[in-house]
Amino acid sequence: MNTSDQLDAAFSALSHPTRRAILARLAEGEATVNTLAEPFEMSLPAISKHIRVLEKAGLVKRGRDAQFRPCTLDAQPLEAIAHWTARYRPIWEARFDMMDQILNKLKDVKND
Amino acid sequence: MTDQPNWVRLKRTFDAPIDVVWSMWTKPELFQQWYGPMGMSIPTAEMDVTVGGTRKINMQMQTPERTMSMWFIGVFKELNAPNRLVYTESMCDPEGTIISPQSMGMPEGSPDITEVIVELSEDGGKTHMTMVHVGVPAGTAGEGGWNQALDKLVEFANNAA
Repeated sequence: MNTSDQLDAAFSALSHPTRRAILARLAEGEATVNTLAEPFEMSLPAISKHIRVLEKAGLVKRGRDAQFRPCTLDAQPLEAIAHWTARYRPIWEARFDMMDQILNKLKDVKND
Repeated sequence: MTDQPNWVRLKRTFDAPIDVVWSMWTKPELFQQWYGPMGMSIPTAEMDVTVGGTRKINMQMQTPERTMSMWFIGVFKELNAPNRLVYTESMCDPEGTIISPQSMGMPEGSPDITEVIVELSEDGGKTHMTMVHVGVPAGTAGEGGWNQALDKLVEFANNAA
């Protein structure tokens, strides 16, 4: 998968509330599918399906332990998303502060 | 991609009439004054303010050692004065050829094309502005429109050559 495919998969995985809840739980530490399923009124296969989507998006890794295969969070694709959004906000804030100053200056010129 | 978190939205209210705020985005001599804070200047801002028209911006940062120069090119996709404007932006070289953000040292995952959507509304002499800056990863549903925009850019580059 190239970077934009990966970002795309991450965005699409994050678009579901159950999957976001699973990620939030995994942020506290690894867990088995059974543990992850507990808070939800959902069948194990349904939860497994959500986990597979997260796995495909590179957000979740499964352990090799044949019996339990615990899930762990892989935050790297999330960081790629956060970077982009976090990087632009302060830039625009500063620009609009400057726009505000210029608008005020223009008004003063008019009023003189 | 607008329903997913690959965007920044900012809202501001300015104590100025809507036409003046509109001209902040569409008059190069005004745009140059506010767009480059934090040590950046905008020595060049070319704008063909028509739908499909090109905008090309040069941003410079002076450091004691050298002058860092970055170029951005895009097209106006929507112009509904004085209420709504939409333009695209990509990093480019001084000739207007699009270059990947990664090759300029931007983090992995930086979109090649971004889109800026500005909405303005007037309220008793004040102007409310909502700006959304969206990253558009390749291969997404909106690509048809992007390809058209890119075609226009290629045409522009050819004419300029």
